[in-house]
Amino acid sequence: MAFPGQPAPGGGFYQGGYGGAPGGPAFPGQAQDPLYGYFAAVGGQDGQIDADELQRCLTQSGIAGAYKPFNLETCRLMISMLDRDMSGTLGFSEFQELWAVLNGWKQHFVSFDSDGSGSVDRQELEKALLSMGFRLSPQAVSAITRRFSSQGKITFDDYIACCVKLRALTECFRRRDTSQQGFVNFQYDDFIQCVMSI
Amino acid sequence: GFPGAGQAPGAPPAGPYPGAPPYGGGPYGGPQPGPYGGAAPGGNVPPGVDPEAFSWFQAVDADHSGYISVKELKQALVNSNWSTFNDETCLLMINMFDKNRSGHIDVYGFSALLRFIQQWKNVFQQYDRDHSGSISFNELQQAFSQMGYNLSPQFSQLLLARYGQQSCRGSLQLDRFLHICLQLQSSTEAFCEKDPARAGSARLSYEDFLTMVVTRML
Repeated sequence: MAFPGQPAPGGGFYQGGYGGAPGGPAFPGQAQDPLYGYFAAVGGQDGQIDADELQRCLTQSGIAGAYKPFNLETCRLMISMLDRDMSGTLGFSEFQELWAVLNGWKQHFVSFDSDGSGSVDRQELEKALLSMGFRLSPQAVSAITRRFSSQGKITFDDYIACCVKLRALTECFRRRDTSQQGFVNFQYDDFIQCVMSI
Repeated sequence: GFPGAGQAPGAPPAGPYPGAPPYGGGPYGGPQPGPYGGAAPGGNVPPGVDPEAFSWFQAVDADHSGYISVKELKQALVNSNWSTFNDETCLLMINMFDKNRSGHIDVYGFSALLRFIQQWKNVFQQYDRDHSGSISFNELQQAFSQMGYNLSPQFSQLLLARYGQQSCRGSLQLDRFLHICLQLQSSTEAFCEKDPARAGSARLSYEDFLTMVVTRML
């Protein structure tokens, strides 16, 4: 089965793993990478950025484009998505990964935000999730749209938070699906740890 | 085996409401003028609703819509260090007491919510053994153990990092403690549904897994 996040060319799964993000250009090297400029501008001496710094970094980079900058909680979520050493911060290569993923998600959002208003409605969110490959039960879709919408609208920020959570849950599951059949035998303790850490 | 329900004991609220606004033991400054007119708080109290909860509801329902939103609720609930309850916990509270999934709560929901929080405040105070106003790592571990959860120190550490506040690293205020406990309960319930034999393990499909978590824990 194909895991969501990329259009599945029938069969293979876990390819790329990022929601519709293009593979991304190979960055020539840290110093020449224009992204590094944004990163270094906010990161401290330790070469790591925390949620506040990430928020500033993304705002300066203009990835949110016409949309409002990300809220802090979304930044925290994004860090936890890629924070493999559980430090609560991102190094530059983790940041590069995040950037690629965000761009993919942004393209996707833009394609559904047909009036360019900066928000999509619940039906559009449902379509967006479906096209990212998520096959969710009606209750799940309902729960997601309720959770991430305010007054029936989902902003870019909310959409990113939604994608991050779904992706984190997918990663959690995927890591345990050793036979790649789409099933996991969860022990209770592991299940709790898994879902509480998202 | 699975931990016990970990429900807060069903004690009736004692004393002033938890998270009382800093300006005094009751609702903000007493009866407010405005659309509710000069009606004394004692009048028009819906049946089954505590009069104090009712006055408080009126004070918190800033736009007088008859409903309290997440944003309005945030102003009503305060930790022992006077910080307002965080957004995630407010959202969780609204979802728990919002009967018709409208995204806000009416006076009955609010009244029930206040009772609920008072019960949990008692639990919190029980585990805050040194009466510091916050729950430390050790106190959290003890709380989990007494609630029947068998969680590793690493996991407790992870929870503190994930749910705790950046500025109070290593300890939890009521809102975050509440959030953790409720999420633990929800995820345990979700798991138990898939493990009716109580074997301690469940085979989950990817879609099951997503649905379980998304419907109960977001």
